[in-house]
Amino acid sequence: MRKINFTVNDETVSIEADERKPLLWALREDLGLTGAKYGCGMSICGCCTVHLGGDAVRSCVTPLSRVEGKTVTTIEGFSKDRRRPIHQAIEQAWIEIQVPQCGYCQPGQMMSAACLLAEKAVPTDADIDDAMSGNLCRCGTYQRIRRAIHRASELVAKGGRRK
Amino acid sequence: MSEAKISRRFFLFAAAGASGGFVIGPWFAPEFFDDRDSSPTQSKEISLNAWLRISPDDVVTLISSQSEMGQGVMTTLPAILAEELGADWSRVKIEFSPVAPAYANPRINWQFTGNSESTTGFFELLRTMGASARGMLITAAANRWGVSAEDCSTENGKIIHQPSNRRLKFGDVVEDAAKIAPAANPKFKAERRWKLLGKSLSRVDLPSKLNGTAVFGMDFNLPGMVFAAVRHSPVHGGVAATYDKSSVMGMPGVIDVTPIPNGVAVVAQSFWQASEALKSLKIVFDDGANAELNTDGLNGQYKTALAGDAWKTVRTEGDALSGEAITGKYSDVFSQEYESQFLAHATMEPMNCTAAVTDDSCTIWGPLQGNQLAQLTLASALKLPLDKIRVNRTLLGGAFGRRLLADLPLEAALISRAVGKPVKVIWSREEDLQHDVYRPATLQRITAGLNQAGLPEALAHKVVSPSILQFVYGLAVTEDNDPSCLEGLMETHYAIPHQRVDFKLLKIGAPTSVLRTTGFGPNIFAVESFIDELAFRAKTDPYHFRRRLLNDHRAIKVLDAVIEKSGWRKRAPQGVARGLAITEAFRTHIAHVVELSVKDKAVKIHRIVCVIDCGVALDPEICKNSIEGGTVWGLGAAFKSNISFKNGRTVESNFHAYQIPLMPDTPPIEVHIVNSGVQGLGGAGEVGPVTIVPAITNALFALTGVRYRSLPLSRYGLKLS
Repeated sequence: MRKINFTVNDETVSIEADERKPLLWALREDLGLTGAKYGCGMSICGCCTVHLGGDAVRSCVTPLSRVEGKTVTTIEGFSKDRRRPIHQAIEQAWIEIQVPQCGYCQPGQMMSAACLLAEKAVPTDADIDDAMSGNLCRCGTYQRIRRAIHRASELVAKGGRRK
Repeated sequence: MSEAKISRRFFLFAAAGASGGFVIGPWFAPEFFDDRDSSPTQSKEISLNAWLRISPDDVVTLISSQSEMGQGVMTTLPAILAEELGADWSRVKIEFSPVAPAYANPRINWQFTGNSESTTGFFELLRTMGASARGMLITAAANRWGVSAEDCSTENGKIIHQPSNRRLKFGDVVEDAAKIAPAANPKFKAERRWKLLGKSLSRVDLPSKLNGTAVFGMDFNLPGMVFAAVRHSPVHGGVAATYDKSSVMGMPGVIDVTPIPNGVAVVAQSFWQASEALKSLKIVFDDGANAELNTDGLNGQYKTALAGDAWKTVRTEGDALSGEAITGKYSDVFSQEYESQFLAHATMEPMNCTAAVTDDSCTIWGPLQGNQLAQLTLASALKLPLDKIRVNRTLLGGAFGRRLLADLPLEAALISRAVGKPVKVIWSREEDLQHDVYRPATLQRITAGLNQAGLPEALAHKVVSPSILQFVYGLAVTEDNDPSCLEGLMETHYAIPHQRVDFKLLKIGAPTSVLRTTGFGPNIFAVESFIDELAFRAKTDPYHFRRRLLNDHRAIKVLDAVIEKSGWRKRAPQGVARGLAITEAFRTHIAHVVELSVKDKAVKIHRIVCVIDCGVALDPEICKNSIEGGTVWGLGAAFKSNISFKNGRTVESNFHAYQIPLMPDTPPIEVHIVNSGVQGLGGAGEVGPVTIVPAITNALFALTGVRYRSLPLSRYGLKLS
């Protein structure tokens, strides 16, 4: 056990924990941020996906030692920052297309989609299939996720959400 | 950093506990939610019946008896109440019901969410409750104005006296309304005047699911709660004979190690600590009776059963000839066997439940479909009266039948009682897959006697299956019958004069239960494959062959629609073929057309077209989403999902081995809705995967001439590309 400092959703946090503890459980148990989900514990299903220094990572297999001093974004902080038009567009598109069913995997889906759009502003279906193949959805909302990613791409091009 | 957020959430749960329901923040104005947050008892809510409450300051609370597992029911069912009431939909609050007789499905007087019957089961009841409360509000307002109730109506949360255009808010008259006797047979709003039903509403659960505030069972929290990680006997039905508690008691956070049915729980301050300790716990299991269970042995058991005697005849039409009698009588006989595999639910949210047990009460919170079964099970196990067992539901991260069982509530309660603290038990994905209750594999044989045109005159269908309902609705299961195993076979829409269905309920060492599609899935795979085989044998287009045999006008309309929407009559491009399947399942008519090509065993699905008639799609977008998702589910069942057994254990332990469909597996799926009227209301939750599977194998036959009669198709080396 030791003190580990990092940034979550633009706030500095300091927790007393085993440095082997996966980020997922630190978020959920030490910080009360339950938006990232446990699904497989093996980096297969993508339910636990968060951003670490801007990259999508599987928090269930990311030890705190790798997080120390870095910046984490979870679904709780995902669309709050207006400097991140991609995030806001993704949330809006997910609502427009009514993507979720049970919704358990969707925070992870949105996290992965954001990294795709940051890399490729106008992705093809093939780009989406490739980038999203590690995020499982048991309800089978894939077609709507695909549509929502295209829609978010459009929204970003149009200058994002107007409030 | 997130102190404020956390305490706010705790507060919501505390408030939920106090009122017996669970407050969900729909998408409406946050300031409204904040008001409720800071002073939940500020305004007294008045019940007009068990389903709705109105406060003098005009807050309308609608009760959802049904669990929200992604099927959109906490939007659609309250919308029925709001429609009849004339409530302002943008301002209603929605709560889940406690376990109480008022919330039982009227068909079987049982509280559960499943069998695709939430809308069909509750539609009339909720219309009645909404309409009757509307009548009470109108009478109260008319009395106050001294006018005739006939001249009044409701809209957007107000009662309106049309001649004078006077208005009163619901809250203004609710106290008077509560004193008025409800009408026995209130008049329903005409369908053409519906403002909510038949329209696509924004789902009430959606914003919370996109900003991390949605509370699934996994996310539920209580002050002072501790966590349990569990390991069950790897062999089905085995028990933990001994374990060395001292091997983990010194580990960080560990509080206790306690026995549970079929296994052991490690309890710790955090789930991660509990799971780390569980890895080190030395346990000796007693394998029990099933140590020899394996897939090959099971296959033999099924084959022996199918070849043997002692059948239970469950359906007879016309001469009801057996397969043997058909073979003796007809000169043209066709007979084939079909096999469907064991499947796991694999909900994205692994199994979990939270319990707080004291000497004289038990309260649980969890993602539950079987809330009444949970209450009964806990009362019996803890020897407490029913009214001391409180069952609260969170959102469900998928369910598909798995959460009808009471095993998680029981486990959580036993652990909580043992450690004297509120406990959340969480199963790892490995426990979830290896200790699921599986969709039973089935083996079936269909034999038909054909006339000169190649049409079936006599059909005999034999089904071998383990039980589906045993753990969730044992009342319906007898020594030799389980009605769920026969779904789709007891009444069919094909006009075949002589029909017979024989059943054999198989006892096996693996646990089996309800899984999305229940009996319909395997049975319709067999029937729709067989009909397709007959069509090709008769050198008749599979559409025309079915069209000639179908005797139900709704089925015919759905069939014709899918043919038109899919462009069936147009020749498919070179190297591409189409397959078709149709059925009625869960009171809904559904048909799928699949268009595919194959290259080196890699199957490319170009397009899927689906038509459904569920009476009226009360929310078309939710309905379409469910059918799209169900179709994707069917891709998994057709191609890759499979549970196997070795040495008494389930082999597949995580998603690398138990494969489900991925984004790249998902072709474009079109869903078209035929509305035939509310009298024919059907379910949309489970029907999606039923016809897609035989449509795929039928398309593969049309393309390659090879008939695949055993699932999943990975057995033949086929995969999706």
